[in-house]
Amino acid sequence: MNESTATARYRVGVDVGGTFTDFVLADQVGQRLVYHKQPSVPLDPSEAVLEGLRVLIEREKIDPGDIGLIVHGTTLALNTTIQRKGARAALVVSQGNRDVLEIARCRMPNSYDFRAGKEEPLVPRSRVLELPARLSATGEVVSRPNEAALDDTAARIRALDVEAVAVLLINAPMNAAFEREVVASLQDRLPHVDVTASTTIWSEIREYERGIAATLNATIQPLMSDYLSRLEDKLTEYGIAAPIYVTTSNGGTLSIATARARPIETMLSGPAAGVAAATHIASTGEGEGDGLLGVLSFDMGGTSSDIAISMGGEPGYTNHTHVGDLPLMMPVVDVSAIGAGGGSIVWTDAQGVLKVGPNSAGADPGPISYGRGGTAPTVTDCYLTLGIIDPDRFLGGNQKLDRASAETALREVADRLGITGEDRAARAAEAALLVTSTSMASEMLKALAQKGVDAGELTLMPFGGAGPTHAFMLAEEVEVKNVIVPPAAGTFCALGALTADVKRDFVRSFRRPFADGNGDGDVWEAFTALEQEAMDFIVGEGDILGHHYLQHSAEIRYVGQGFDLSVTVPREVALERDSAKVAEHFHMAHEKTYGFRDTESGLEITTLRVRAVGEVPKLVMPKLAEGKAVPESSGTRSVFVKGVLADVPVYRRDDLGAGHRIAGPFLIDQSDTTVFAMPGWTAVADRNGNLIATRTDRNGATK
Amino acid sequence: MTSLDSVLLEILGNKLRAATEEMGHALQRTGRTLYVKETADFGTALADLDGHFFAYPRAIGVSGFIDLDCGPTLRAISDLEPGDVIITNHPYASEGLATHAPDAHLLKPYFHEGELVCFGWSFVHLSDVGGRVPSSISPTNHELYQEGLFIPPMKLMRDGEWNEDVLSFIRANCRTPNENIGDLKAMIAALNVGERRVSAIIERHGIEAFCTVRSDLQEYAEIKSRDVLRRIGDGTYHFVDYMDDDLVSEYPIRLEVTMTARDGEIHLDFTGTDPQVEAAFNIPTNGKRHAWLTVRMIALIMTLDPTTPMNAGMFRPISVTVPKGTVLNPVAPAAVGVRHATAVRVNDLLNGVLGKALPDVMPAASGGAMVPVVLAADDPASGATHVAVVEPMVGGSGARKGADGVDGRDSSISNLANNPIETVESQIAVSILEYGIRPDSGGAGKWRGGVGVRLKFRIEAETGRILGRGMERFRFRPWGVFGGEPGAPMRVILNEGTPDAVDTGRIDMLSVKRGDTLTVLMPGGGGYGDPLERPEELVLADVASGFLSEETARGSYGVVISEGRVDSAATHDTRDAMHLDRPSTARNFDPGSNRDAWDAAISNDMVARLNEALMDHGASSRSRRRRVFYAETLPDLSGSEGTFTSALSDPDAIKARARKALEALSH
Repeated sequence: MNESTATARYRVGVDVGGTFTDFVLADQVGQRLVYHKQPSVPLDPSEAVLEGLRVLIEREKIDPGDIGLIVHGTTLALNTTIQRKGARAALVVSQGNRDVLEIARCRMPNSYDFRAGKEEPLVPRSRVLELPARLSATGEVVSRPNEAALDDTAARIRALDVEAVAVLLINAPMNAAFEREVVASLQDRLPHVDVTASTTIWSEIREYERGIAATLNATIQPLMSDYLSRLEDKLTEYGIAAPIYVTTSNGGTLSIATARARPIETMLSGPAAGVAAATHIASTGEGEGDGLLGVLSFDMGGTSSDIAISMGGEPGYTNHTHVGDLPLMMPVVDVSAIGAGGGSIVWTDAQGVLKVGPNSAGADPGPISYGRGGTAPTVTDCYLTLGIIDPDRFLGGNQKLDRASAETALREVADRLGITGEDRAARAAEAALLVTSTSMASEMLKALAQKGVDAGELTLMPFGGAGPTHAFMLAEEVEVKNVIVPPAAGTFCALGALTADVKRDFVRSFRRPFADGNGDGDVWEAFTALEQEAMDFIVGEGDILGHHYLQHSAEIRYVGQGFDLSVTVPREVALERDSAKVAEHFHMAHEKTYGFRDTESGLEITTLRVRAVGEVPKLVMPKLAEGKAVPESSGTRSVFVKGVLADVPVYRRDDLGAGHRIAGPFLIDQSDTTVFAMPGWTAVADRNGNLIATRTDRNGATK
Repeated sequence: MTSLDSVLLEILGNKLRAATEEMGHALQRTGRTLYVKETADFGTALADLDGHFFAYPRAIGVSGFIDLDCGPTLRAISDLEPGDVIITNHPYASEGLATHAPDAHLLKPYFHEGELVCFGWSFVHLSDVGGRVPSSISPTNHELYQEGLFIPPMKLMRDGEWNEDVLSFIRANCRTPNENIGDLKAMIAALNVGERRVSAIIERHGIEAFCTVRSDLQEYAEIKSRDVLRRIGDGTYHFVDYMDDDLVSEYPIRLEVTMTARDGEIHLDFTGTDPQVEAAFNIPTNGKRHAWLTVRMIALIMTLDPTTPMNAGMFRPISVTVPKGTVLNPVAPAAVGVRHATAVRVNDLLNGVLGKALPDVMPAASGGAMVPVVLAADDPASGATHVAVVEPMVGGSGARKGADGVDGRDSSISNLANNPIETVESQIAVSILEYGIRPDSGGAGKWRGGVGVRLKFRIEAETGRILGRGMERFRFRPWGVFGGEPGAPMRVILNEGTPDAVDTGRIDMLSVKRGDTLTVLMPGGGGYGDPLERPEELVLADVASGFLSEETARGSYGVVISEGRVDSAATHDTRDAMHLDRPSTARNFDPGSNRDAWDAAISNDMVARLNEALMDHGASSRSRRRRVFYAETLPDLSGSEGTFTSALSDPDAIKARARKALEALSH
């Protein structure tokens, strides 16, 4: 372990977003966290990173040399992919497979709309080249390209004037050495452009998904490499010598060198870091025992809301997800979109029925009340009209809001809904928020059903700019166990970056009978190779890492079954190479989901996985001073809640001490969000500054 | 509009739809077979007391079954108690709720304080329910009894307990009893989720609100649907399309519709459609409006108003006439296993007739065939036969006004995912030599039809058989509109590129051996608008990307390309010459030369008289009498494709023979 990182006084988490770049400075000696939001610079995000660090360093009067670690979250990979702005690439495929990107998985994105089109292929057909290089399903070489074919392919690539090349050979996961050999032959002939083998990015069968992974990595890589170099240079110049780590889609981080080579790992790092923070807080705060049982993280931002579930201190993962209209076949934190964000538009259809979304005013022009050209009322305008947010203190007073324009627009909505009376704008706003909450709740229940989890076991943890504002309205609709509002909801992903360990996943497709009494030598051999790869990786990941370990899992099925079950292989079972115990874990998992085990059929193993985890020295979380039994409110605000206008006490977050107890309804104004608790809820602040709220009135006014 | 507060309508509408989707997720998570896990050939919904769906998922399971009617099945059971579950897969006894044997439909009554409040519904396509062939479906079945075990509506569960007698029958009559029971359990799990969700909604919002929303949601959908359908101008529209043949004879199957529109009320009259066939292509609609007849309407309504709630109310403005004893309203025991293939053509038929009313909205015909290419590979060691789908194949989509058709995709009747080559090769004894797009197959047009998919694979098993369920559009090409040309017809070639190469035509079952290759070329979508109006640079781009050959660019579009560039002068001359060469008015409907030849020889009027005469005979004998009629009228029409146009080359002689045959039939 690097002494300087472990003992350094400061660490900084940085999360670059579209509008703001968020910072969390952790002072390990002073046991405090300092937050900062810096406007982003989309043309060169590293400028906002440097500027924000400069502001923090000057404000807190610290020595740049005392910063021992910087963990950075970037949306560069995601934005490059969604906007198709990556490097110009060519894709080399096996003979007969030129249309892998055209055919994709053959599905239309929308089967109801006959005006719909399909996704734009990542590489146009004119830059996909066939090479006579092919393996059989068991990995034998079926055709090997001769020198002339390689020369010809290289010449055609040169003529295409590309900046990156990916190679995707059919069945390559069954013989990755062959694909690497072909790549090396092409690389020799093309010294000025990087050639990427599909299996070095992700060695799992499913050629379309693997090809997308390799091509994405190849097209993002030049941009990411430039960006990280620029960032590193700027920080060094400023006197920050701390190692930089980059957050990843699996809720972990990677060294800057690995991130440069494998930018695809950072694709969905933003939402993953938020879930990592929620998981960390739940399992370290006073609600520790609760947090370990289950956390439902709820991230509500400007355009949409996401949820994720963590159980036992570990986020849920999925091996298949999407980035825009492209598949991503890698383990990522399993995040589900559940609908509206603060910018979602409130409207009525031709029949006078109230709708919220799916269109959003986003951050630009934003809600009507921003006064930046928005013409349609949004969810944020509803909060404002009801009095939940304070027009002068929204986002710490940085964004003045025009309440009158929001009310005017919502009065028009009320008229279309046939709502009458002086307070009709507020009634329309309340109706719109109810539509929003019930629709989110329904989507949430669906997401839970897919995972077989019951909401009653879960703690709802809101973050994002609107999360704490809307969380209790949502909790009125889904009966969760409790709600925990963390201290700095608006810079949550930056905090998540600081709590994450180094993590990388390794995979090997491997289809053979399993636990049939033959010892499974080759299965364990393959695991050994994966373990070696994982260990080589983790020891090269920098000397900040303390303890490191490997996690094993496998996908197994009954012979003849059409789908796999993923089975965690406990450490001791992996060490003992005990196939029978792995089989027993599979039978148990099958029994849990399907209610029976099949003792007649043999087993077949299809995928082996190893995750390497390197622990980053633990973050010291701040401790709050003891508070008196009843904190002082800073005043009251008139809020329209459940059809009546009520004077609701307003607190400042900084005034809340450990042990403070407040009963809803109440408001807490923070510089990054507003917390709004409904009547019937009581919240207690814990020693880490989390507000733990429970429903004290189960048969409240909602029933 | 409705009696419910419009805010509550939106809230309950969202909640109930989400409840049906949650049921779907529960079913998929615990389902046992690939049909459930991957293909998602299952459904969940909530039905009102009459058996109409008032809440239906938007994003999980089969999308097209909204217009199924559970009413007859419910009315067949008189004493419903809490904890009961009804099962049926009988197309005739359920009056078209189930439409072939593998589809098991379950209904569970939901109660509130002793009162019946609605029904949960779920269905799954079971892997096998017995019958003549594995998987229970074969086009050459000619009566229901060959298609497996049929269960008229009866109780699968009573008071929460399994009816073991029913389970025993199922186990004893299926090749895959464990898988079936597993999927039935998953369906029950889904129904129980729905029951809990409905009960929570009633607890929260009250029973009155629930009962009101049950009908208000349908009324809301009806109003929205009618607003869309009003865009169809008042009047009468007519369209005819054909399936190549019924596999047991050479004669095409005619589908006909006359649509009458009046202020958003749509009547679809299928009179003129051919009698039921002695193959498994019949769709058991029971002569009522039915999901398989109205699926294209869902896409129309959802395209023009995506906020329409998906429930039975959206079909209320639509009524139908479907003569009994036709392929769209067969009489028991006509076989129905492959009704899907006919449904694909009904979809084209509706697309065509709607296109006459809404030419700016409706696309040209899509490929019109969905083919799961199946290999039954023999394993000499065990003597077993391994049956698996190599790839589900689709054509291209039809071109639209303002946009080309989609290449290699067609979701018009279902939106199935394909299988990765690497998965296929690891599980099935084949090598996939080519899997890609089929150049030059998209119908030429100002907007080009989408190209079809091409698959070439080699058999690696010692021996086996290829099954080609759903192969269509060999003869009658996907039609183009408003000057657009038809898409390329389907082709299947055994051992392509060798001296033994043979065009197999439509396959029922084809024996193959190790080393044989099979090439399946799916039809392209029809074009839209005059190809001569397609901008040169788009034609050039298609050639550069390989969607078009230079020959087709020149022959169909008049664009001359040499050395990767458009030769503007030559293009100008060619396009001018082509303009002069063609008739003064562009064809609004171009189905290709085979259909033209057929229409020239077999007039609408003659078919109308034939079908009228056949209707005087018993339903079971119509098919045979129709064969006799065509055998006398078209004596030259035999097995090989090349003879189709030659058999039709003397329309006058054909008409004379037809008159005689018709007279004989009438006596």
